Amino acid sequence: MTKEEFISSGLLELYATGISSQEESRMVQEYLTKYPDLLEELKQIEISLEKYAQANSIAPAASFKEKLMQRVFPGEEDNKVTAPVIYMKKQGGGSFIFKLLAAASVILLLVSIILNYTIYRKYHDTKDALQIAQQKMEQQDKSNRAMSEDLNVMTNKYAQPVVLSGTAKSPEAVAKIFWMKNTGQVYVDPTNLPQVPAGKQYQLWAIVDGKPLDAGMITTKKGIYHIQKMKSFGKADAFAITLEKEGGSPTPTMDAMIVSTKL
Amino acid sequence: MSQTFTYTEEELVALLKSNDKRAFEYLYDNYAGALYAVILKKIEDTILAEDVLQEVFVKIWNNFSTYDTSKGRLFTWMLNISRNLAIDTLRSKSFKKQSKIQNSEKAVDYVSNNINEDEKFDALGIRNQLNRLSQEHKRIMNMAYFEGFTQDEISKQLGIPLGTIKTRMRAAILELKKILQP
Repeated sequence: MTKEEFISSGLLELYATGISSQEESRMVQEYLTKYPDLLEELKQIEISLEKYAQANSIAPAASFKEKLMQRVFPGEEDNKVTAPVIYMKKQGGGSFIFKLLAAASVILLLVSIILNYTIYRKYHDTKDALQIAQQKMEQQDKSNRAMSEDLNVMTNKYAQPVVLSGTAKSPEAVAKIFWMKNTGQVYVDPTNLPQVPAGKQYQLWAIVDGKPLDAGMITTKKGIYHIQKMKSFGKADAFAITLEKEGGSPTPTMDAMIVSTKL
Repeated sequence: MSQTFTYTEEELVALLKSNDKRAFEYLYDNYAGALYAVILKKIEDTILAEDVLQEVFVKIWNNFSTYDTSKGRLFTWMLNISRNLAIDTLRSKSFKKQSKIQNSEKAVDYVSNNINEDEKFDALGIRNQLNRLSQEHKRIMNMAYFEGFTQDEISKQLGIPLGTIKTRMRAAILELKKILQP
């Protein structure tokens, strides 16, 4: 068989479709070795058949490829073929600046917290100190006012000072009365009266026309004695102070008289 | 799967010889559909056919060193593996070949209605052209190339003398070439 006879015999086609007998296949191999340009002839037949096969192709199920890839490449993670994963690209330069900014803001936050706490503590301390100072000032203001009132009474030109001397019962006791001649107002200075026993209170009496009249209770709160305003009397024969029960009595308890005077 | 690159046959073979995974994937993406169709001609059950297809690719991967370029193109080799494995499966499952022969015409029609849309290959255009192939040329190519019938079986099925199968096949492929070549 010449080369041309071989080509037209159809043996190459049988060989390409895969149905040549063993003997025919051996013969084809021989001719291919003998005439290498027959390889090109065979290639064209194969390509035609390949295109024919491709034209008839049927896609396997979508899940099939993944199964196959897992079988052939077991344990490899990139065998999944269903959906491609798109990874976000890290931005090279930006990330450092971002990290720097993040670190800076954290540090600033910490500094701010510490500063806030310190300032808050200082504010609190200051507020406490201010309160104490204000209380002290208030107290001093009060005593100042009381003292200036005392002074006003004592320096009043109409004030007639009356000294009440201690009775036999309490010879040490002394009280002073400032009696305003123009208005009849009576002020008493209980500074030198003895300490009041619990449940008791000093009461001032004005003796008018031989009768003792209640002239008011003397408050000796917190042990601070100040000149205080009593009831007013246009005229009086004498003044006396008795120790009475708290709130006072309608009539003086004569044996509890501490100081008295006659005008 | 979309491939943004193409390999020449030589590149693909070289890569597969060096166990390149991407080349294997490329092989699958470009040839699985054609091979699956061949298997389906023998085995109608798609689950079983997929099992065979998997075995085919495993065999291609594991035995790639046995592929000899001097004996033919890569696809011819892969198609032979597919066809032989399908036939072996049929035999081992004691399928009746007779029923398959009767079904072969139906299978061709079935195939022509199922197009692998992922194929880069212009299957639809070629399919339309292939409609011009004469029925008897189609039958002889399908029986031999796709279904692996022996010359003897083809002779009996088509009622043509054994001696004329060679020339009939040549005529069929010449017609195919003519249609494929613009």
